[in-house]
Amino acid sequence: MNKIRNLSLQVKISSIYIFTNLLVVMVNIFLIIGINSMSGRLDTVYQGNRHLNNFSDAVDALQSSMTDYLNVKTSDSLENYYRSEALCRNMVADLNEKVTGRTFDRMERNIRHMSEYYLKEVASAVEAKRGRNVEKYRFHYENATKMYDYIGTYISNLNMEQFRSNSERYSELQQRFRLFEAVSVVAIVLVMCSNVCMIISFVGAVIRPMKKLAGQADEVAKGNFDIALLPVESQDEVGVVTGAFNSMVVSIGRYIERIRESMEAERALKERELLMEGHLKDARLKYLQAQINPHFLFNTLNAGAQLAMMEGADRTYEYIQKVAQFYRYNMKKSEETVTVAEEVEMVDSYIYILNVRFAGDIHYEKHIDESLLSVEMPGMILQPIVENCVNHGIREMGDRGVILLSLYEKEGVVCISVRDNGVGMSEETIEKILSGTYREADMASGGNGVGMDNVISRMKLFTGNEQVMDVKSEGRGKGTEVCLYLQK
Amino acid sequence: MQAPKKIFSGLMLLPLFLSVACVVFTVMMAGYVLWFYQGGYQEETAGDVYDRYYIMITQEGKSAFWQSVYSGACERALEENVYVDWLGSDQMQGYSVEEQMEIAIASGVDGIIVTAGENETLRELIDRAAESGIPVVTLYGDSTQSARCSFVGVGSYNLGREYGRQALKIMRERLTGVTDRPIKVTLLVNSYANSLDQNIIYSGIQEAIEQERGDAAIEVSLQSVDDTNAFSVEESVRDIFLGENVPDILICLNELNTTCAYQAVVDYNKVGSVSILGQYTSDTILNAIDRNVIYATVNIDTPQMGGFCIDALQEYHELGYTSQYFTADISLITKENVDAYLHREEPESDE
Repeated sequence: MNKIRNLSLQVKISSIYIFTNLLVVMVNIFLIIGINSMSGRLDTVYQGNRHLNNFSDAVDALQSSMTDYLNVKTSDSLENYYRSEALCRNMVADLNEKVTGRTFDRMERNIRHMSEYYLKEVASAVEAKRGRNVEKYRFHYENATKMYDYIGTYISNLNMEQFRSNSERYSELQQRFRLFEAVSVVAIVLVMCSNVCMIISFVGAVIRPMKKLAGQADEVAKGNFDIALLPVESQDEVGVVTGAFNSMVVSIGRYIERIRESMEAERALKERELLMEGHLKDARLKYLQAQINPHFLFNTLNAGAQLAMMEGADRTYEYIQKVAQFYRYNMKKSEETVTVAEEVEMVDSYIYILNVRFAGDIHYEKHIDESLLSVEMPGMILQPIVENCVNHGIREMGDRGVILLSLYEKEGVVCISVRDNGVGMSEETIEKILSGTYREADMASGGNGVGMDNVISRMKLFTGNEQVMDVKSEGRGKGTEVCLYLQK
Repeated sequence: MQAPKKIFSGLMLLPLFLSVACVVFTVMMAGYVLWFYQGGYQEETAGDVYDRYYIMITQEGKSAFWQSVYSGACERALEENVYVDWLGSDQMQGYSVEEQMEIAIASGVDGIIVTAGENETLRELIDRAAESGIPVVTLYGDSTQSARCSFVGVGSYNLGREYGRQALKIMRERLTGVTDRPIKVTLLVNSYANSLDQNIIYSGIQEAIEQERGDAAIEVSLQSVDDTNAFSVEESVRDIFLGENVPDILICLNELNTTCAYQAVVDYNKVGSVSILGQYTSDTILNAIDRNVIYATVNIDTPQMGGFCIDALQEYHELGYTSQYFTADISLITKENVDAYLHREEPESDE
């Protein structure tokens, strides 16, 4: 089966044509043989009659040659007699001698015996004539003639009988011939039908995979690469094409997938860049609004500091200096990457200013791992967090408010923790802050305009991680801790 | 890979099935042709080859009497692997007994059964046949002087006596009123054959009547029937009824005479006044007895007669001699027992 399946298309198609043609030829050969045998039989039907007629003619010839000889006694007639006698004798020898159940055979046997008797009588007559025995040859002649008469009647009776039976046989043969004709027509029609069926089904079997292939190719042409692979049914030309098509579809699909992946990556990269830029712009815009005051304030503060120095008011000078430093940092560093040390310094300044402002209400503690101070991070991150702690956490606590800033490394991640012992936060608020949906009602009143969502976004953009900030609170009055996570 | 295989086998099955069907059909065709060619078509078969070949020659053509004799002979012959042909009936119609004898002798048969008579030509032919080594059995009619090996017939004298007794019986039953003239009993004899047998029958009749007539006046006469050519018998029988001397009792010695006499009696309205004593049991004759037109018929066991002929020839071939006489059984059929024969004949007539 496999062998047949793997034959080439040419061999397959050729063999089916050869096979069907062979069938037709075979049927025709049988028909021809049948027709030949039948026509042969038809030829032999009246053979018996022909033989009998020939024999009858021979006997007639013998009788007339004998009569002729007895009449004229010429050597010509004697020669004629001998010739016809020999012919007749030969024919007599061919006649049937057996007694059978068939009337013809028995009649033929009788004719044979009578003919032998007749030949004897004829020979005796001729012999007597040659011996000039008039009485004897007349006697034998009469006997022979009587026999001749009987034989004639016998032959004609037999002829008639045979003819009757042969005619029956002939018509029977003819009927069979008709039957054979009908059978032949049926045979030819059947063979033709089966050949047509065979060719149709075979060509269908060959064409079907091609059709499938064409359908699949059409699908591919429409851009649908997500198609089932065609089964390879045979190793013929169609099978080879199907196989090639399958691998082509697979490789095109793979190629397209690869292109899509790289495009996706590129797009993500661009998107990130754009987002970062957008956030910076947003931050910068907010600061620009705030810079009008800082510049003026900064210059003013510088002038104030000089005045305080000239007047010998060192604490005032230091205070004004710190405020100026705070604003300077705000102006310069907010748009670039800074070190943790700079951010911590910024927080220090901020707390100092607040403490001067609020007469040292805030207790500020630091637990710093010095080795991590050089880690880079976006600017203006810690200050807004600390500002939030002060504004929302400990403002109402007077001198009991504590802010703890810790810098440590945990499992390879740099953690900056800002903790207060203030009012704390509900889970709901924490959730809102972390998802960036929390909007401060008094943002404009107390803050410098940088909200927690901005902080979180910039941290995410900077680190490329989602997990950049954590807010923990054990409940109302239990304080809040904000942790920032940075890569080393 | 299951699915493709299935599809493949499904696709390939149809052509395979078709090709197998085609091949089967072609083989059948070939078988038919070969059957025809080899002679499955039955030609007339030659059949068995027989050891011996006898020929039966009778004076009359196809009468039921001879038909019955012939079939009896055939039946017996087939048992002995011998074939009997009835020459006059099919192969050589229209030839006289003598001519048929000549043909049979020339044909070199193994035995001849012939209805002879005391006639010189026939005697010579029988002698010639015997010279050529062909045994001849005379049937029904004898040629006592010839070299025939055996004679098969009926006991003519006893047959005659039976006819005589029946004639007297008729006289007593039907003709008691006839006292003014002698009762006329006529025996139809064939002018051609069996003169001796007919004479013996005649004397048998006469003797039986003489012995048992008492004082009744009975006149027994012979009436010759011309059977020398075809159809002459019927004319001769009718002539009797046209003449003045119409008999009271008509005795017929063969089937043809009986049937003709019966028809004549009916045609000339002589039923009741002419009583017929016939021979043989054809349907016509039996029906006539049933209708009281024929008084009685003598039934010869014809198959037995045919069988005897074959026995005689076979015995002669095997032993070189055979019994000189074979006598077939006879029985009388009258109104009383005709029913049995009518019923017996019925199935045969259907065939």
